[in-house]
Amino acid sequence: MLLLTVFGLLIAASTLLAVRLARDVSLVRQYDALMDDLKIIAGEVSEKLDDDDADPYAFLEVTARIQKNERHFSYILREQDGTILAPSFMLDRELKMEDIHMLRKDNTAFVAHVWGVECFVVRYAFEDHPLELLGIYDDQYVFGDLDYAIHLFVGILLGLFLLILLLAWFWIIPALSRVLEKKQRAEEELMVARDLQQKAVTKTFPRDDRCEVSALLQPARTVGGDIYRCLLSDNKLFFAVGDVSDKGMAAAYVMFLLSSVIQSQAGAHLSLTALAGEINRLLLDNPEYEMFCTLFLGTIDLDTREFEYCNAGHTKTVVNGRFLPQDPQLIAGVVRDFPYKTEKMMLPPGSRLLLYTDGVTENRNTGGAFFGEQRLLEWVAAQDPADSCEKTCTRLLAALDDFRGKAQQNDDIAIMCIKIL
Amino acid sequence: MKTTILEKDGKTLVSIKGELDTGTCAKFQEAVKPLTGKEGLDVEFDLSELEYISSRGLRILISLQQDIMARGGKMRIKNVSTSVREVFDVTGLSKSFLNID
Repeated sequence: MLLLTVFGLLIAASTLLAVRLARDVSLVRQYDALMDDLKIIAGEVSEKLDDDDADPYAFLEVTARIQKNERHFSYILREQDGTILAPSFMLDRELKMEDIHMLRKDNTAFVAHVWGVECFVVRYAFEDHPLELLGIYDDQYVFGDLDYAIHLFVGILLGLFLLILLLAWFWIIPALSRVLEKKQRAEEELMVARDLQQKAVTKTFPRDDRCEVSALLQPARTVGGDIYRCLLSDNKLFFAVGDVSDKGMAAAYVMFLLSSVIQSQAGAHLSLTALAGEINRLLLDNPEYEMFCTLFLGTIDLDTREFEYCNAGHTKTVVNGRFLPQDPQLIAGVVRDFPYKTEKMMLPPGSRLLLYTDGVTENRNTGGAFFGEQRLLEWVAAQDPADSCEKTCTRLLAALDDFRGKAQQNDDIAIMCIKIL
Repeated sequence: MKTTILEKDGKTLVSIKGELDTGTCAKFQEAVKPLTGKEGLDVEFDLSELEYISSRGLRILISLQQDIMARGGKMRIKNVSTSVREVFDVTGLSKSFLNID
């Protein structure tokens, strides 16, 4: 709408300019006519001077006037003392000397300003030269051959400008609106993808007097593929944090798919190795997406506090301030039937787990430095163990935002905190 | 990010300089496109000057190796810097997929 208004205004402005130009061209024609008249008068004056054997150095004065609105001309010839040699005609009143102010005088020509601003009269003092009009100047325009050329040039430019406007109207604006439409569609797609991602993560965390869980997700500007799920079933706390490579709609779709699989299979107590294998197969069965996924799967038996986990190429989980010892396993979606294994450990009471995606460690500041694993461990060490999981998550996110400063967040940030009471 | 591809004695040498992140991945993918769809390639990546690789960068490397191997070719990686090596290790790629010298 704004664009249309701007173009409308431009077209109106150029129309006004075109009208103005047409007026200028007509002025130039009038000037040409005046020149012809003046030549005739000059001839007459020359004869008169010859007849009277007058002083050949006498100044003659020719005035012409363009009345601002009427655009008619009149002229008058005088001797230096003010005697009118050739009375003006087409003049609505006789010129008086006070109407004429000298502006410039040299040996050959001087300029008179008639009636203040209305026009200039350029006169030529002649010795042997014919009377010659050098130019007419009204308060805005000087017309001479050069000026005529300039006006033609301006006219051509104006024509080109109008042509561009027309092109803009019929071609650029539709092209632009197509681009805008496309952008809007992309935005909508992004919204859908974001919505999918938000639906793919657990919102309500299991509550139990033996454990506390909280997690949060801060998506990057374009959608990334971070997911997490957490559920409690038959004394077993199940949790998963993953990162689907690539961004956009396809990643969001795969992410949603994985999230559903994780949710349903974990609820059905599929073993972690079987679940990892299932996800691996799912990704490889959809090769058109060319996607892989890093995945951390874990279960904690709330009765025995036995922690079993399977890490498929995911970041290192922090358990009680230290990285979980682990044998790196391949990310899911690369090698078919990869034999995923789980590891086990016993968690002491009051244990705290921090799971996250690479958006945390690869969070970068404006200087390009990474937040990194070392800083993460230092941050964890500085926290109060009495903090709630929710507080830990929000504080870490704030620390990451602080560290990043004005730099752009390039990847999703997902954080999950688990406390065994 | 700069990718250089050299043909030498029937081998293809690829070196990557700089960072392979979200912003430069598309450029990298375009650069290695000539290596896809060819039979029996012998490709060697020199990553001595690669400072960082994101998950998208990994994806391109993985797809490329899958394509090359599916066409009877070989792909090896050498001179991996510490930080990139760590990414290959954590993702299990150095142990189970990529051929790293």
